[in-house]
Amino acid sequence: MRRTVVFILVFAVASVVVCVAQGLPPTLEFRHQGLRIEADTLRDRVEMAPIMSLLGGEMTFSASAGVWALSLGENLIQIAPDRRLILVNGELVEAQDPPMTSPTGVAVTLAFLDRHILATFGFHLETFTGGYSIVPGVRFGDTVSIRPITADFGATTTLVLALSRAVSVSVEEIPEGGLAILFENASPQIDAPTPLRSRRVRSLTAGSGRLDVDLAIDVGLLSWNILTNPDRIVLEFGRVPPTPTPAPVRVVEYSGPAPIVIDPGHGGDDTGAIGAPGQMEKDLTLTIARRLTQALRARGYTVRLTRNSDIERALTDRTALANRLEARLFISLHANSSTISSVRGAETYYMSLDDRASDAAAQSTADLENRASGGSSATGSPLDLILWDMAQSEVLNESSRLALAVQGRLNALLNLRDRGVKQAPFVVLTGATMPAVLVEVGFLSNKAERDRLLSPDHQQRLADAIALGIGDFLGGS
Amino acid sequence: MNRRVLWIVCAGVAVALLLAWLLFFRSGRMTPVEEDLPATIAPTPTPAPKQQVVLLFPGRDGLLHPELRQVSLPKESDTRIQVLVEELLAGPTSGLAPVIPYSAELRAVFVGQNNQAYIDLTGPPEPLDGSMTELMLTYGLVNTILLNTEVTAVQLLFDGSQRPTLTGHLDLSRPLVLNKRFISGP
Repeated sequence: MRRTVVFILVFAVASVVVCVAQGLPPTLEFRHQGLRIEADTLRDRVEMAPIMSLLGGEMTFSASAGVWALSLGENLIQIAPDRRLILVNGELVEAQDPPMTSPTGVAVTLAFLDRHILATFGFHLETFTGGYSIVPGVRFGDTVSIRPITADFGATTTLVLALSRAVSVSVEEIPEGGLAILFENASPQIDAPTPLRSRRVRSLTAGSGRLDVDLAIDVGLLSWNILTNPDRIVLEFGRVPPTPTPAPVRVVEYSGPAPIVIDPGHGGDDTGAIGAPGQMEKDLTLTIARRLTQALRARGYTVRLTRNSDIERALTDRTALANRLEARLFISLHANSSTISSVRGAETYYMSLDDRASDAAAQSTADLENRASGGSSATGSPLDLILWDMAQSEVLNESSRLALAVQGRLNALLNLRDRGVKQAPFVVLTGATMPAVLVEVGFLSNKAERDRLLSPDHQQRLADAIALGIGDFLGGS
Repeated sequence: MNRRVLWIVCAGVAVALLLAWLLFFRSGRMTPVEEDLPATIAPTPTPAPKQQVVLLFPGRDGLLHPELRQVSLPKESDTRIQVLVEELLAGPTSGLAPVIPYSAELRAVFVGQNNQAYIDLTGPPEPLDGSMTELMLTYGLVNTILLNTEVTAVQLLFDGSQRPTLTGHLDLSRPLVLNKRFISGP
């Protein structure tokens, strides 16, 4: 019997050892303000719940949304297992390693913990043998995310660099043109880099500890400030007196009468809508664009196409070309598609600024910057705001008139079903500094309309109708 | 009871206790604060009253049409949005078209401090086309959420990522606000 007991005990102890070796992970020690805690690790991740306890924060779960909320003071971080996107104080941030579900909630990598959670709470990790100390202060040399916003006013351009945290910077003008913003112990990184829509600020390039700002000819820095709440750098540019040194020679891409820019929608791998095998929107828009070009040139207008072959072009590049050429008009041609096959007709869109929350935010930011640049006055510098509003309103009003003129001709000449003039925040119309419209010439998803759209006669009549609409607008402007 | 049997039972209980300790109490050994701070707060489902909501679905005229539905609507913004999106994904009951023309699933809902919502859906298995498709999908979701909750703007995410646009027309890179232009008039 004694042998049996010994055998059972040995078996039990061995089971426990096997369990520990195989199923239970090692722990990591974390220290913070004289307290210590051990947190389990799961593969390369560490449990968040003990760390939040150590920091004195809260961690709650919304089962329906599948989101964990980590809060400390006024800071709130929302993370979801297996999702790279996290919401940090209302800002969407993309992380490298997604959190994962763990026995006590959620586990994250040490890099995630340091960069996204502790940095938000104002701490960083420092190692010691066998664990980590959570110490106050954001780690120096870490990335600082930058979201640039530009606003062209009458004679000046304001560039706002919204920062993910406070930084120390200095600004140096580069003799060859442009300037460099030098970051002290921080690496700037531009969030979602997209072409800037400004006549004076051409591009931003983030490097190690610096951000280079490329400016247009004869444009220089007028002033700059670091502002807080939210953290941001505000720079104001404008025309500067010519320097004694010769200006760098730049190739002038186009010199002649201001052209009308025609944009055949889609192209390359982006086929757009497909009516039937081999019937692609990208081909139809290019064909109509070429016919429209001929029709407009016959009327004496200068025309440029954003593409004249089956190539892919970024949406923002299309508008940027029109801006660079200082075009009179921008016309983007498209053919529509719907899951409801009975939907048919033509419609013309112009830009809608009030549909995007960020436009209101950008306007508020512009307001804020103008107030800041105007000193302590609560009313700030109203002139720039008035110029901004006037410029935006004028472009929208003119775009609306252009859309009505084009849609009117389409309705009159083609007996299409009038789907009317509408507004939407289309990417290709964003940032256009001239009257700009997007024409949907019909639905490839409607069989009868598709057959007509593919007929050369109908394509020519579409081009002629749009050309007449443009003529009506320019003749009356 | 036989003493040896008692010995075995005691040993078994000891092993079980050791296992339980290792499994459940090994992490988070911070005595000064551990007892005060719960590691997690378990979700407690609260019964929500039924309310009438307005769901928007595309019609044959290429505009969004309202469909009224009685649903249990929680108070919290994120769960409210979840209910609304699930109702939209379930499809219309009145002859209108689905908002999302593929079998989509809601992956996550975030509501930021600025009251902007982020809706993460599974992306389309095949590329979608047409500005109409994009407008109906986007504003069917955005307008439905904004008409029935207190959030101020909605950004759509697909497969956990921001997309600049879905079919090459609409700017989806930023949160969108209510757009009544695509809602059918009375």
